[in-house]
Amino acid sequence: MTIVVVDPLTRIEGHLRLTAEVSDGVITNAHSSGTMYRGLEQILKGRDPRDASRITQRICGVCPTCHAIASVSVLDDAFGITGSIPKDALVVRNILQGLNAIASHATHIWVLWLPDLTHPIYKTILETVNLKSVWDEFVGRFAPISYSIEGKAVPPGSSYLAAIPEKKALHEAEAILGGKMPHQMATIVGGVTCTPTIGDIGKIASYYVRVMEFVNHYALGLDALFGITDPLEVADAWLGLTHDVSKDKAVENLLGILGGLPTDDFSREAGWSDVALLAAFGSELIGETLLGLPASLKLDMIGGYPADPTKIGFLSYGWYYAIKEGYDPTSTKGERFITSGFTSGDLKYENFNHLNVTEHVAHSFYTSGNDLRPWNGETEPVKKAADIKYDDPTAKYSWLKAPRYKGIPCEVGPLSRMINAKEPLVMGLVEAFLKNGYSPANVYTRMLARAQEIIILARELKKWVLVDLDPNGKFYTHADLSMAKDSKGVGLWEGPRGALGHWIVTDENSKIKSYQLVVPSTWNLSPRDANGKLGPTELGLVGSKVGPIGNVLSTLGAIPLSKEVENPTAIFHVGRSYDPCLACAVHTIDKGTNKKYELRLL
Amino acid sequence: MNFKSLDITKLDRRTFLKVAAAMGAATFIGTYKADIVKALELSDTNIVWLEGADCCGCSESFLNAAYPDVIQAITRLGIYVGYHETLMMQQGVFVDGRLVGTSELNSELALEEYMTGKKPLDVLVIEGSIADGPEGSGMYTTVGGHPFKELVERCAKQASYVVAIGSCATYGGIPAAKGSVTGNMGAQFLQTAKGGFLGANYVSKAGLPVVNIPCCPAHPDWLTLTLASIIIGKGGLIELDRYNRPTVFFPPDYTIHENCPRRGFYDLGQLDTEFAEGHCLWKLGCKAPITHADCATRLWNASVNMCTQAGSPCIGCAEPVFPDGTSPFYVGMEMMSTLAGVDIDTIAKVAIGAAAVGVGAHAVRRIVMKENE
Repeated sequence: MTIVVVDPLTRIEGHLRLTAEVSDGVITNAHSSGTMYRGLEQILKGRDPRDASRITQRICGVCPTCHAIASVSVLDDAFGITGSIPKDALVVRNILQGLNAIASHATHIWVLWLPDLTHPIYKTILETVNLKSVWDEFVGRFAPISYSIEGKAVPPGSSYLAAIPEKKALHEAEAILGGKMPHQMATIVGGVTCTPTIGDIGKIASYYVRVMEFVNHYALGLDALFGITDPLEVADAWLGLTHDVSKDKAVENLLGILGGLPTDDFSREAGWSDVALLAAFGSELIGETLLGLPASLKLDMIGGYPADPTKIGFLSYGWYYAIKEGYDPTSTKGERFITSGFTSGDLKYENFNHLNVTEHVAHSFYTSGNDLRPWNGETEPVKKAADIKYDDPTAKYSWLKAPRYKGIPCEVGPLSRMINAKEPLVMGLVEAFLKNGYSPANVYTRMLARAQEIIILARELKKWVLVDLDPNGKFYTHADLSMAKDSKGVGLWEGPRGALGHWIVTDENSKIKSYQLVVPSTWNLSPRDANGKLGPTELGLVGSKVGPIGNVLSTLGAIPLSKEVENPTAIFHVGRSYDPCLACAVHTIDKGTNKKYELRLL
Repeated sequence: MNFKSLDITKLDRRTFLKVAAAMGAATFIGTYKADIVKALELSDTNIVWLEGADCCGCSESFLNAAYPDVIQAITRLGIYVGYHETLMMQQGVFVDGRLVGTSELNSELALEEYMTGKKPLDVLVIEGSIADGPEGSGMYTTVGGHPFKELVERCAKQASYVVAIGSCATYGGIPAAKGSVTGNMGAQFLQTAKGGFLGANYVSKAGLPVVNIPCCPAHPDWLTLTLASIIIGKGGLIELDRYNRPTVFFPPDYTIHENCPRRGFYDLGQLDTEFAEGHCLWKLGCKAPITHADCATRLWNASVNMCTQAGSPCIGCAEPVFPDGTSPFYVGMEMMSTLAGVDIDTIAKVAIGAAAVGVGAHAVRRIVMKENE
């Protein structure tokens, strides 16, 4: 057995250490360790609760807006005013979140995740299977800054270079309402501080247009495929094929697009958008089995789970307020634009109830109580240096707690949201993988779900900005500190990376008595719980082939295992997949027919 | 003044940075490209960017650099990002406890090259505060198995210049706020107290203390212009205030309040008592009158907006005392029992001197009186 440690796992936000035990090229055991503790929960104690929304959004500079909104939601609840938050304040909160979510997803896909495909080991592999031209596309599009291979500088890729200004543009658009980004300032208990004008709406719309030009040309390639050049038409066109149809048809349409692309020219101009390239070459089932491509990266073979509902579930708290005055702080089924829900590991949906969330600390560096609900939660860190070590998995080994839903570890994020919302494309793919003996959740579906969510959010964002936001509306309802006396509240929201909950208890002076946060990465990267159940990332690593040669070529040939573990791409891909993601893809058609599809819509 | 005719190599430091700031990052770098190229002598400037107890917001903000954008800046300034956890291709890989591969594939080997002096470490950028706890071990933040503070210490020994970016790396910020149990601190300060992690006497190889660029997050222009100054060999000319902030961006005798887009309402005494009303935010807790930064003239995110213009009271995040000294954020200054660490003289001079009418002057008088009691 070999122990492989990746620390730091870079190109994520924060500090993460992943440890894998490898036998015969397969990961047999894994441990996920968060290696930083800031102690924000203690810092919040005794403060004016309104300050929590400014402080907690500083948990994450990549997706600050979700924390700001979860935090003002928890305050709306504690102040007893969730029923009277004005409609236009909720629309502004949705717009702020929508802009940040798309920026965050795009950053993850193009800046953080896709550079993995330019790892030089893939050059060797793709040349071996006569797909050097695909490697050329990867490195030409996705290479990061300050990168070199064998001493030779590699210039940043075209998609990478194009994505950064779009992330920036989305921050600028959000700053029009929020003052600045990161860490916008407009969200506040009772509503928002800003009063958008017609001019603001126009400016946001113009940013929207330029971002959708990027989405069209680089991500989806609807210009090359169908001659669609109107940025305002992009989301509708794509979703018309993949989202507004049945799940069978959604997958069929995608396979049709991919199947119609040339296999001797992988350029963007030939229709091979970033999404197409990854949808086709990312999956064994889609690329090799269904489309007949000579090889794929087999991202569907790593990061999956056993089909055991006691080991994994898919959780969503519900995202984006309904367009009306007031909202339900418990986020019941269907109340939010993307619904809340819990779907078991064998894909059975049930209604979500936040009281089922508890946190374990058996393997976390805390001495406080185990299996507590967040309202009763405690955060008491170990105080001895000798207690902080990462090499003994029988002891405590992470700064992350282990949140559980009815005792079950849960994946959260775009894939979980799309599963709970039964989004046609993602659901179609998930069921196809299940039917063909794959884990329905894997690196590939996780990435596709995130890409699909960008487009879903983009279409809704257009409506929020151009239709729902009334500049003559009301943006704030009165909230003063006395309303938060001896109170408690729950703020249920979603971040780009998944289910996000804030819980507060206030004292007789309306000060914070207890503030607990259960954040998406805590779900996805959690350590084991008191019952020994693995966190989702740990579970996803176990059973994956550690290196790309064994995974992609299915044989190590003459390559010694020692070389394979030096490039543990499964750890890179699986670890990063919970955060970033890419592509778009397909699902089952008749094996072997490889037939072309008529596209109705376009 | 015709900036383009200036010989920047002959400017005194005050004028140099004023010119740079006035021209904006893009014009400055564009105009003096020849000098920059000359200064580079065809070699890259290596940057090591360390992230400790951070949120990555300052890195995100740097990616928001407007004109030039971050890629243009990196290209024109000849920056080579030798280590940056959020952006770099490599990651740390250990097999049975040993670092494997090469510095092209292993981040820890890449960092080692700078920490041992094998490659020149021209600029060290620190983002995030530095944990000392528990028990002085620094184990509350580790990277690659090492306490983060060890990495900072080793890099600081090799660095020609050290720039701390954001409230956390400069003064400790939120991770060092009241209630913190982690012993987090800034690189050379803990709030207003000089010392921090590297100690009051630390100077980098170029003989400078840590250049502090606070704010939560830091504005990309501030970093771009500071880096540009360093790269063209003018790092030593950056004038710093007593908290080691470049005075050109954080003027000691000027606060955000002076050029606030809502200043007119203040002068008319139109002070809102509810949010989303569109006037002066003084009574809602605005700390702009005690916050020294050029937010109101530079604006944020390609100059589309700023906090107060969006109706939010300034929370004073550019000040060393942030967040404790500038909170509660939504309580007016005259209602606060203390305004920790704030230069009261400055408040009085700026706010009273400028305000002809309104409750503002009264409020400031109350603060000053309280302080004198």
